[in-house]
Amino acid sequence: MIQTFPLLPGVTLRCCRDTRFRQGCLSLQFVRPQCHEEAALNALLPTVLLRGCETAPDLRAITNRLDDLYGASVGTLVRRVGDYQTTGLSCAFMEDRFAMAGDEILAPMVRFLGQLLLQPVTENGAFCPDFVAGEKKNLISAIESELNDKRAYAMGKLLRAMCKADSFGVPRLGTVEAVADIDPQTLYEHYQRILCSSPVELFYVGSAPGQTVAGLLKDMLSPIVRDYEPLPGQSPFHDGGGSHTAEPAEAAQSVLCMGFVTDITCACSQFAAMQVLNTLFGAGMTSKLFMQVRERRSLCYAIGSGYYGSKGILTVSAGIDREQEQPVRQEVLAQLEECRRGHITEAELEAAREALLSALRGVYDSPGSIESYFGTQLLNGAFRSPEQYRDEILGVTMEDAVAAARTLRLHTTYFLKGAEK
Amino acid sequence: MTVTDYPRLGERLYRQTLPNGLRLMVAPRPGFTRKLAYFVTDFGSIHTDFTLEGRKIQAPAGIAHFLEHKMFDLPDGRDVSAELAALGASVNAFTSYDMTAYYFSCTEHFEQALRLLLEFVSTPYFTEESVAKEIGIIDQEIGMHLDNPDSRAFERLAEGLYENHPIRIPILGSSESIREITPELLYDCHRAFYTPGNMILCVVGDVQPGQIAQIAEEILGSHPRAVGQKLRHWEESMESTCPETALRMDVAMPMFNLGFKCEHPGTGEDAIRQELIGDLAAEALFGESSALYLRLYEQGLIDSSFGGGFETIDGMAMLLCSGDSDDPAAVRQAVLEQAEAIVRDGIPAEDFARMKRSALGRRIRDLDSFDSTCFRLCAYALSDYAYFRFPELYEQLEAAQIQEFLRRVVRAERCSLAVINPLEEV
Repeated sequence: MIQTFPLLPGVTLRCCRDTRFRQGCLSLQFVRPQCHEEAALNALLPTVLLRGCETAPDLRAITNRLDDLYGASVGTLVRRVGDYQTTGLSCAFMEDRFAMAGDEILAPMVRFLGQLLLQPVTENGAFCPDFVAGEKKNLISAIESELNDKRAYAMGKLLRAMCKADSFGVPRLGTVEAVADIDPQTLYEHYQRILCSSPVELFYVGSAPGQTVAGLLKDMLSPIVRDYEPLPGQSPFHDGGGSHTAEPAEAAQSVLCMGFVTDITCACSQFAAMQVLNTLFGAGMTSKLFMQVRERRSLCYAIGSGYYGSKGILTVSAGIDREQEQPVRQEVLAQLEECRRGHITEAELEAAREALLSALRGVYDSPGSIESYFGTQLLNGAFRSPEQYRDEILGVTMEDAVAAARTLRLHTTYFLKGAEK
Repeated sequence: MTVTDYPRLGERLYRQTLPNGLRLMVAPRPGFTRKLAYFVTDFGSIHTDFTLEGRKIQAPAGIAHFLEHKMFDLPDGRDVSAELAALGASVNAFTSYDMTAYYFSCTEHFEQALRLLLEFVSTPYFTEESVAKEIGIIDQEIGMHLDNPDSRAFERLAEGLYENHPIRIPILGSSESIREITPELLYDCHRAFYTPGNMILCVVGDVQPGQIAQIAEEILGSHPRAVGQKLRHWEESMESTCPETALRMDVAMPMFNLGFKCEHPGTGEDAIRQELIGDLAAEALFGESSALYLRLYEQGLIDSSFGGGFETIDGMAMLLCSGDSDDPAAVRQAVLEQAEAIVRDGIPAEDFARMKRSALGRRIRDLDSFDSTCFRLCAYALSDYAYFRFPELYEQLEAAQIQEFLRRVVRAERCSLAVINPLEEV
């Protein structure tokens, strides 16, 4: 299903040819280590590239080009995959067959992507200072705006507290201070370095044959002189110790976040069991947390858990009344204890398995979900195709799920204390 | 069942109104695994006042949303979420100002899941105890909304624009209003609006349309039932009630919603044409390819959070833009001046053709999304229009219609600005 084309040293194109969709998508990601030194540079880079290139030197010229391509879009792509941070651009565009006779979209789209990447507007051997200053301001406000979504903000605080000694604690977009320190020259030099040395992952989903797309991209990338430096592999969680913190906030609602650690990561054979356990414990509308904390005890509206397989971290977050912190905390731990003791019904296990299987069966139903599944799986150091992953989930038994629950231990909590009732 | 092909979009649509009044639509997706079903009632948070069997009912604010929560309870302690989960179907629901939608998506056992969806939405079961318990949950949801600056800004804007229209009142209601909700009121709302004649069933996926019609009739019955009559005392002048409001919250930088009151476009083809005109007017005025967007972005008055469009809700419409800005009043001034300039100078033919091509292309791409397609099919059907006809309408649009729209709508007296400012430094 997925064809692989090595284009240059360390530059790989993956193609998923599929003629069912009305749009195609193409992403390009430079793969970098997630670290304090680079996080802000990597987050800022694609926003500056999207401000202008020689053939489309301002925002309006860029959007005009995209409008001419039937409303195609190019966006920034900054992801965290385990110890890696990816940075790049992602395009979505209508398939050629829906355009008026004679109009092409894919080929000019690839050429335009090449111009954005390789012919940025520069001044004296650096990025255009106005573009950099404007995008620094935007990135700083994006980082500061994390405060606007209290649940996401609290979760960010929890992960940073948990992962003091791990790359997972590095903020995905960097810090305000690190962004403020960037100048046009530093950013440009960083970009030139990663252009020639960084691993590059390209992913295409659409109706064109892989060979055609590979040909177009080879032409586009031909000016780059590569001096490829492979990255070290993914590493397990580096534990710098846990903590239990509470912080006051001007908010009507409080948010309780709890972080658990486990030795089970995506590289382990018990990975599928931990996913099933996470789903029945806290993800979804039939999970123990939803049914007990919300439905039975009416302690919250939103509650859920998430499992980060690359590090073996499981988090729980709930929006609650300030006075209910202890009852909710105890109920979460009590529900985990239920799992550990094997008090899981066949129906709960089956529902969790079905939810995961259903999501996997749907991976091939949209270009975006294909790109994000493979784009992440190919980098996490433990690749599973949707079909392999499905077989692993089908094999998870009650004993496996209980054993997975027994590996979890509470590591860190963070309580965002809102107003009193 | 009527079958219509839309070759330009590669779409086919099956449509039928069943003897019980239910409107059924199916957009097949051969070769896809996922199946999505929406079961929608033409009843939202603004429809609190209605008559039913000769009685006039004034329900508390937030009842449509409360009802949506309570529909998931079935008699005999059955748990419909668990039953659907056992089939691998994920179920959810939402309440908007003018509709309530229940939906599930699955990859297998579609027919069983569809039966469950139709069964639970058509089976009211409310007790004093379950209503009391839900108050605690919805109170938390209200708390979450109170901390959400985006929804607070929109609610403030609605209050600033409208004097009578119930968009002034939050969808969730308030902590006080939900305490007035009783099982009897919930039964009344269900009887009035959850009848097949007031509902739409829409499915996107690789399914058998005939079978869906059969299942719907089997579960919902063959006979039409009376529908509650909504009372709409929503007369509005086109002037805003308050030009500017501000609120302080724990946000990083000021954010705003800027709105202009528009005439409601009505229903049918002309209404959809008005909507597309409104959309394109928004593009021409402050869309990403507009001169204004570029200028404000380069001046640092807006950032990539800025966006806008044309919104219609039963009985009202507005042109709206929103985003973060250090100086929202300057953005308002620039929008008013730019509209004047477009009205005065017109839109160059080349720019207009590009705008239409772009809008059309984005809508075509959007058809890959099951969720968006299902939602739009339902929303347009509530306006009595087959959504897949949009390419024809785009072709007919002319730049002069956009100018006329901007001349009529983008005026200081129709405008309101709602700003959320950061807390003052202590």
